[in-house]
Amino acid sequence: MVNTAYSYYPGCSLTSSAKEYDISFRKVVETLGIQLDELKDWNCCGASPAPHHKAETLGVLLPGRNLHIAGAGHDAIVAPCAGCYNRLKYAQYKLAGDENIREQTSEVFQAEVRYQTEVLNIVQMLNREITPEALREKAQGRLANIRIGAYYGCLLTRPAEIVGFDSPRDPRKMRPLMEATGAEVPHFPFKTECCGSYMGLARKDIVLKASFRIIDVAVSTGLDALVTACPLCHQNLDLRQGQINKAFGTSLRMPVLYFSQLIGLAMGISPEELELDALAVQPDIGRWLRGVA
Amino acid sequence: MIPLSETLSQGRELVVEIERRSGQKVADCYQCGTCSSTCAAADAFDYPPHVFMRLLQLGVVDRALTSTTGQLCYDCMTCSSRCPISIDVADVIETTKNIADEQGIRESERGLRLFRNLFLKNVRRHGRLHEASLLAWFNLKSGKLTNDMSLVPLILHRKKVRIIQPRIKNRAQVRRIFQRAKERPKW
Ligand code: SF4
Ligand code: SF4
Repeated sequence: MVNTAYSYYPGCSLTSSAKEYDISFRKVVETLGIQLDELKDWNCCGASPAPHHKAETLGVLLPGRNLHIAGAGHDAIVAPCAGCYNRLKYAQYKLAGDENIREQTSEVFQAEVRYQTEVLNIVQMLNREITPEALREKAQGRLANIRIGAYYGCLLTRPAEIVGFDSPRDPRKMRPLMEATGAEVPHFPFKTECCGSYMGLARKDIVLKASFRIIDVAVSTGLDALVTACPLCHQNLDLRQGQINKAFGTSLRMPVLYFSQLIGLAMGISPEELELDALAVQPDIGRWLRGVA
Repeated sequence: MIPLSETLSQGRELVVEIERRSGQKVADCYQCGTCSSTCAAADAFDYPPHVFMRLLQLGVVDRALTSTTGQLCYDCMTCSSRCPISIDVADVIETTKNIADEQGIRESERGLRLFRNLFLKNVRRHGRLHEASLLAWFNLKSGKLTNDMSLVPLILHRKKVRIIQPRIKNRAQVRRIFQRAKERPKW
């Protein structure tokens, strides 16, 4: 079934440090002629700290409120942030599976909780709305000059029994659309390694080491860029790449694009409109698109 | 090395409790080490995940309860997705950490707790997270004033910052959610 309008949950990161993700996603969707209705009065999903905080209930109630609001809107809600997507799926799983949780949640919301709206991540939604065949047609090999790696990280696929999106060990769902851009998409062995998550402020050493390994393997795989659907991964891999190089005495350079930016480029949307200049590590777009009419 | 004298039956009850809550059987672990080799943070832990499992198998629960493993594990679930016999290692670690919290065991990783508390405080008040305030408060409270300041010019140059704290309308409902979670952290 094809939806022509979706509820949209941007989440906190997409309104500030990951604004290029929000802008490029909206641009792609608008170009496809699909309507996005931002969830009214949405709240933070709680990200990683909420479920970690000895409070199982908080981990359901915070994203649950958004799900409840979405229940009054379109059939499906799209959450481009992998973290928000993960939290929404978690809340939905808990609410669907346990009447007691539903009752208690309804009591807090002072209304019978709505939780059945279909929750989609960006890869699912764009696969459905563009399809690799149509993108290939549109792209005409536009990105044939480059090799890119699909980086999934953790939250898009794990835990598989709750998220139910792709294999947690060998995910492949980003690949068809990525290949349709014309780019070569070789196997990236570190595609499911963790970037170090939210430890950046408190234990930078852990993040820098974990992210260094990912960037290092991306470079040795001969990639021109990595592609991600997670603002936190992006922050660690892109924004912190200078810190990584300083910590390890390296001079690695690996642009990290959001999934929507890559798809937008293939659709012929300009780099400016996709906010490519917001990336810390700038891709050499001139070389990428050389020879493209 | 774990002295054999420590491997007494004292910890059995807690291990049973950890198994009950997590639904995992720690005895099944055959110490292949896959979890540890795949964990991006293992070398920052005092006990890497497979050793953590071993501690529980041996009933040396005190060490597991006070270890930095539970505090530093960020639940990325890489270990769980790779364990050849599908033990949810991350769940075992988190359950143990929860029990440590319930027992009032002091965390040595103060920075992380501070980060989580400040994050949630910001969300409780306003309904949405303001990244810039989180960074500022974290640096103030932790005394690490220069933390990530090297990123600031880049963040400003790329206009990746919101100056004003975002706020939702129905903050009362968000406060009610937090109040409820405080009163009843479990269902
Ligand atoms: S991967 Fe599984 S079986 Fe292997 S050491 Fe870890 S918990 Fe044990
Ligand atoms: S869940 Fe924890 S122990 Fe497992 S791989 Fe991730 S950080 Fe390591």
